[in-house]
Amino acid sequence: MPRIRVGPVDEIQPGQPVFVTHGEIEIAVFRVDDGFRAYRNRCPHQQGPVCTGPVSGTLVATADTDWRLAWVLEGRVLICPWHSMEFDLDTGRRIRAQSERLRAYPVDVDDGDVYIQIGSRAVSSPRRRLA
Amino acid sequence: MTRDSRKPLGLDDVFIVDCDVHANEPPEALAPYIDMPWRRSLELLGRGPQRYLDIPGYAPILNLDPPFPDRGLGNRTVTTARQMRDDLDELSIDVGILFPDNLLKIAVFPHVDYAAALGRAYNAWLADAWVSREEGLYGAVLAVPQDPKDAAEQIRTYGADDRFVAVYLPVAGLRPLWGDRMYDPIYEAAEEMGLPVMLHSVGIIHPHFPFNLEHVESRIVRHPINHEFALMANLFTMLTSGVPVRYPDLEIVFTEGGVSWVPFCMWRMDKEYAEIPTGAPFLERPPSEYIKEMYFCTQPIEEPERSRDLLTMIDLFDGRDKVIFASDWPHHDFDHPRTVLNMPFDAELKRNIMGETARRLFKLPVPVPVA
Repeated sequence: MPRIRVGPVDEIQPGQPVFVTHGEIEIAVFRVDDGFRAYRNRCPHQQGPVCTGPVSGTLVATADTDWRLAWVLEGRVLICPWHSMEFDLDTGRRIRAQSERLRAYPVDVDDGDVYIQIGSRAVSSPRRRLA
Repeated sequence: MTRDSRKPLGLDDVFIVDCDVHANEPPEALAPYIDMPWRRSLELLGRGPQRYLDIPGYAPILNLDPPFPDRGLGNRTVTTARQMRDDLDELSIDVGILFPDNLLKIAVFPHVDYAAALGRAYNAWLADAWVSREEGLYGAVLAVPQDPKDAAEQIRTYGADDRFVAVYLPVAGLRPLWGDRMYDPIYEAAEEMGLPVMLHSVGIIHPHFPFNLEHVESRIVRHPINHEFALMANLFTMLTSGVPVRYPDLEIVFTEGGVSWVPFCMWRMDKEYAEIPTGAPFLERPPSEYIKEMYFCTQPIEEPERSRDLLTMIDLFDGRDKVIFASDWPHHDFDHPRTVLNMPFDAELKRNIMGETARRLFKLPVPVPVA
């Protein structure tokens, strides 16, 4: 199972993923609140370059927001540049359609550097409520 | 070398005709092709601020929405034939049929002479700078609905040019709908020149049915009404005024509505026709039989949970030789050809949908296999 060095921790900033390639596979590593996430740069919808899209938030209205519109998950929502599908950067799951998700890879930090493991099964991720 | 028939068809294994791609025509680009006083109008518009497909006096959309954070990056434009050819190569598309961008809204203009002049300028610009058999870029002659007589002349002029293979009938903001007999000169010219007519809508807000959507908050609601509902309404009026009966050699194509609304139209109109036959005195057969003879572009292709349901849907209107691929490149809701090619169709149906049916419909040259 290849382990690929992505780069120093400090070079991966929020909203600015670092891309690495392994053969024909392109992977983006994002910084999130509690560390890093690595996703394949291919949208499960029409295979667009999802990881090149902006990192933003999303609009919801749930019972928890008393059915009022609320802007949530700012800095955590990856938007595919092809058709604007939204993915939770923390879980890789598509927002509001959580059975769809990005292909994720394990990430670890070793002596100040970020590494990803290729060839592993997709990282399982929890489903979450929006607000 | 022959392809291994056991392998699924790839994008490079099929001849792909994209029946809907969009050439961006900023006002200053058409200015050299239009007469005074409109040339000065377009030059002025070209110097002013221009929002994406939203230019008062040129692309009137009545956009009432605020910009939404980090959305709208899909506002791509293709401004040259070279760029379009490169983009289509990237998408493995062999042939593209060109539609406008801003002038998708041309039916909105109340000023008849201005609308007609814009149509003439667009067609001349397309002939001069875009269409090319060698590059696989073909034009659809813009038929300005406000001036059917002038549109008919345009169809006869450009229909004689083998780089134009269709007639574009604008749908957004249209009044009256395309079934009205005032448009007969357009149908007569298109049939005479052997050019299919292609109805194509766009998202706008406008006082005309069914675009009077100023009170509707969500684009999710407006978008299908702008497209599929508009196509349905036009189809109904074309049937009841007997367009397919009075112009039996005219091919009719519906663009940017997907396919799932077609069975509804067949059965609903057959029901109405059975009960109120005086409402469609031109028809010699039930409406569904005429609908089955029309063509429907794939985009936006339905993506049902069970993808085989799409094949069932196509079979409901005997559409295996009537559905033709379109991407709508470069618009926000474009379909990558891979999405349609990967549907659970057999190889023959895939070849027909992706290009062979359109090649026959538009009388395109037979592709020469690459050695």
